[in-house]
Amino acid sequence: MIRLLLRLYPYKWRARYGGELIELIEQVGLGPRTVVDVVRAAARERRSSIGTLLAGGTSMRFGPAWRHPTGWAVAGAAVMAPTAAFVIGSLLAYQFGVGGVVVVMDSTTAWLEAQPRVVDLLLVLAPALALIIAAAPLLRIELRRANGGREAIIGLRLKLLNVAVGAGALAVGLLLLWHIVAEAVLSVGA
Amino acid sequence: MAKPQPFNDVGLLVLISLAGGPKHGHSMLLDIDGFARVRLGPGTLYGAISRLEEQGEIEPIEQDGRRRPYRLTERGRRHLGIRLGSLDRTVRAGLTRTAP
Repeated sequence: MIRLLLRLYPYKWRARYGGELIELIEQVGLGPRTVVDVVRAAARERRSSIGTLLAGGTSMRFGPAWRHPTGWAVAGAAVMAPTAAFVIGSLLAYQFGVGGVVVVMDSTTAWLEAQPRVVDLLLVLAPALALIIAAAPLLRIELRRANGGREAIIGLRLKLLNVAVGAGALAVGLLLLWHIVAEAVLSVGA
Repeated sequence: MAKPQPFNDVGLLVLISLAGGPKHGHSMLLDIDGFARVRLGPGTLYGAISRLEEQGEIEPIEQDGRRRPYRLTERGRRHLGIRLGSLDRTVRAGLTRTAP
């Protein structure tokens, strides 16, 4: 419960004072009064860190993604995998006529048609979601005061696995889009 | 008659507590409760500690087990003197004007 309460604080604050605060809460005991006090204090720290960000001179990044880029790349790949398999299978079966794959894709397509429309929607949205998940650890936005106003500088760092998964997601998304457009054109033509 | 509000400048309470010597969080809570009759919560106390440390008015000293004691810096001692002087003048003026 104490560690859960601590999650309410901004990461930087938690990293510096978290251990000491836990120690103190253990000493005074975790009653309702302490819970309310800690929640209010954490909200003040959140407000203060947002204020610092908006005032400029601070860089913003999505902390969990920034700290675990490989995990996020793997998660992105997992999200994209079913759509990638479908797109690659379709290409092999219907563009290149690979015999064994045609049978598999025919039965897969038949199975998909029997599913609720939301499954189709998830398959279509998955590459976009995978791209966001894989790219999140690469992005840093810095807000600065400049010439009486504010400017935002977007920084990118290079993590090969994340870039590869992001590029794969983009390629799968574009192929899927092309497939959908081509089908729509063909159905209008017919 | 309304109950008098406790003194609620937490930063000042922490500075006064540390003026008596270095303390860790729990000792500060007990000390402040003792001299000001104010029972601070752990979140409120650490909010004040983080701000005072950022302003350079207090600093941590070597860790005592899992607890980390803090002490007043020179800047904190100077700031505390100025604030107490100002409060003292205000309190004197108030007492003089409300004396029967």
